[in-house]
Amino acid sequence: MAMSCDRSRKKWQKVLYKDQGVSDNYVDESFLEEMKKNLHIRTYEFWAVVRESNVVMQQIYSVWIFVAVYFHMRNFVLTPQFLFEMSSAVTIVGYIVNFVILHENALTKSRWKDGKTMGIFLILGFSLSPILMTLTKTISTDTIYAMTFFMLLANLLFHDYGTDAAIVSQAFSLNAAIFASICLASRLPTTWHAFSLVTFAFELFALWPILRRNLKIILSFLLGSVVTVSVATVSSVAVVVFLLLHLFITILCPAWLIRLQPYKNNIHGPWDEAVIKQ
Amino acid sequence: MKHSICMVSDFFYPNIGGVESHIYQLSQCLIERGHKVIVVTHAYGNRSGIRYLSNGLKVYYLPIQPVYNQCILPTVFTTLPVIRNILLRESINIVHGHSAFSALALESIFHARTMNVKAVFTDHSLFGFADLSSILTNKILKFSLAGVNHAICVSHTCKENTVLRGKIDPSDVSVIPNAVDASVFTPTSTERDPEKITIVVMSRLVYRKGADLLASVIPEICSRHSDVQFIIGGDGPKRLAIEEVREHFQLHDRIRLLGTVGHSAVRQVLVRGDIFLNTSLTEAFCIAIVEAASCGLQVVSTSVGGIPEVLPPDMIQLAEPSATSLVESLDKAIAKRRNCQLLSPDGAHDWVRKTYTWQNVAERTEIVYDKISAATEVTLADRLHRYNKCGLVAGKIFIFIAALNYLLLILCNWISPVQNIDLAVDCRKLRRLKTSGVNLEQSS
Repeated sequence: MAMSCDRSRKKWQKVLYKDQGVSDNYVDESFLEEMKKNLHIRTYEFWAVVRESNVVMQQIYSVWIFVAVYFHMRNFVLTPQFLFEMSSAVTIVGYIVNFVILHENALTKSRWKDGKTMGIFLILGFSLSPILMTLTKTISTDTIYAMTFFMLLANLLFHDYGTDAAIVSQAFSLNAAIFASICLASRLPTTWHAFSLVTFAFELFALWPILRRNLKIILSFLLGSVVTVSVATVSSVAVVVFLLLHLFITILCPAWLIRLQPYKNNIHGPWDEAVIKQ
Repeated sequence: MKHSICMVSDFFYPNIGGVESHIYQLSQCLIERGHKVIVVTHAYGNRSGIRYLSNGLKVYYLPIQPVYNQCILPTVFTTLPVIRNILLRESINIVHGHSAFSALALESIFHARTMNVKAVFTDHSLFGFADLSSILTNKILKFSLAGVNHAICVSHTCKENTVLRGKIDPSDVSVIPNAVDASVFTPTSTERDPEKITIVVMSRLVYRKGADLLASVIPEICSRHSDVQFIIGGDGPKRLAIEEVREHFQLHDRIRLLGTVGHSAVRQVLVRGDIFLNTSLTEAFCIAIVEAASCGLQVVSTSVGGIPEVLPPDMIQLAEPSATSLVESLDKAIAKRRNCQLLSPDGAHDWVRKTYTWQNVAERTEIVYDKISAATEVTLADRLHRYNKCGLVAGKIFIFIAALNYLLLILCNWISPVQNIDLAVDCRKLRRLKTSGVNLEQSS
């Protein structure tokens, strides 16, 4: 009896212009039928994610190296001459490597332009370094260190790691790092120190990421050891913190990300704003 | 049973729009059915205080200025004294809030529930889930819907969306569609150009309304059919794209850009067309296509949101949100027009006139009101329980807010006791006296 009643009742249609003889708050079996969950899900493989987390670590290496160099100069272990010569040599080598990798046509014009830019920067930097040094001289050291910390943190946050996120702002990131270097430069004894530190900061935060992106080779192990050694000679507490941070970002964070994947709940349905198909 | 209803929203006359006309028309029809209706909204420039619209519809323009997006600043607690005062003065037993974007509506519903007045919420729009603004808005919606007695959505897709966003029981949501005033949107065959096929577009030229799709569809259609012309009403940031298309393909005599069209002039533009094109990327209901159908136009639209539910297949050609699909559907519609296979304009108008009426909407809304009036009252403890279910951390915050609001209500009751509040004159009594022919001047 019940079956014949069902067959005589027509199938409920999802339309607004027909009076289908049911109340307005009727819930049909086809309710939420068109909802789809987790359509574009990606499965992550642990070691692949660990490898990709290197991008973040490399920028963190830059930051730590920079701070370690500052402390070395402060303790008179590192002379500004040595720093300037080393960083210039590495920059020139890096420039040649970059040029070779990109297989650019040897347009002498572009080489000449780059050379000119470098020359202008060095001359300007050297002549302005007395001013740069005294810019933040009157501020207390604690404030300087706090500002440097936040500026370097901003550098890490807004850096372009290769994703398409709204928070990325390469300009802001670089500016923050240079401001941090100016803050620290004021704590150094001579203008020569300040100039070499600022130049080193530019090379590290502006030029090195370009080469790094083109290299795509994981120099992590080598870089990691360099950082560990340089930080260890400054302070043993710092090196422990560095190693823990390294472990956290490289091992724990990927594991956490993969553990959270089953909880993903992306809902798609006819209510979504349409994406224009080409 | 006759109710005293308070419609609340940030969107009302003198602004013109979908939500605004919905509230106005629904209120008028409910007054016709014998209920008492008042409207509460914020001030519009100098327009502040109490105004009366036709049939004694009393509108409270609260002395609060809008801050962002025509909405007031959401403060949760500062609107309690004034809303409490209005609800007591007018002896309101149902508060009906409109639009999830309206802070005033959501706050008024919250205060109404604190005062144990029944509340209904109508949702007019579709929302996403994934971006940050959606996540926050959906949390606030969960909070509002946890307290509300019943919700109304304008289409089945809107109902599914609201149920998922607000995490409420689907049988607590009624689907009552929007309507049009068919007497305003009547067809006239004399306005149409018999030589050409006119396609009318009437929407804001923004990304959300598919202005990019429109820009890619126009040249294709114009090249395929030499007797087709476009009339585009509306303005916006994407107007430049349409003008560029016009320049590039030299279609100056075939595309007319009218700019912003005032609400009273919309019908004049619509009756000049044979086909109405809608390219929106998301719509909960889309009143525009019903207005166009009422004027006798054949509708071609993207099949998004609630649009497939609105018109039957012989009155609308649906297409995927892509240029090729829209062009195909437009071709079909143009071919039908050439072979005179379309529904006659008067036929279409009659259909809309019978199907989408505000009287029908008011009747179905009244059923919702009757149902919630008959329902038993929830205790404060039950309400707090429901708020707690909104989330692990958010639940506790919501309980705190609800409890604080309750304490503030007790404070208000102590400062300005219920007995001291004068009751406002009921306009229905005046209407009854007027219709029964009593001379009011004599009786004083």
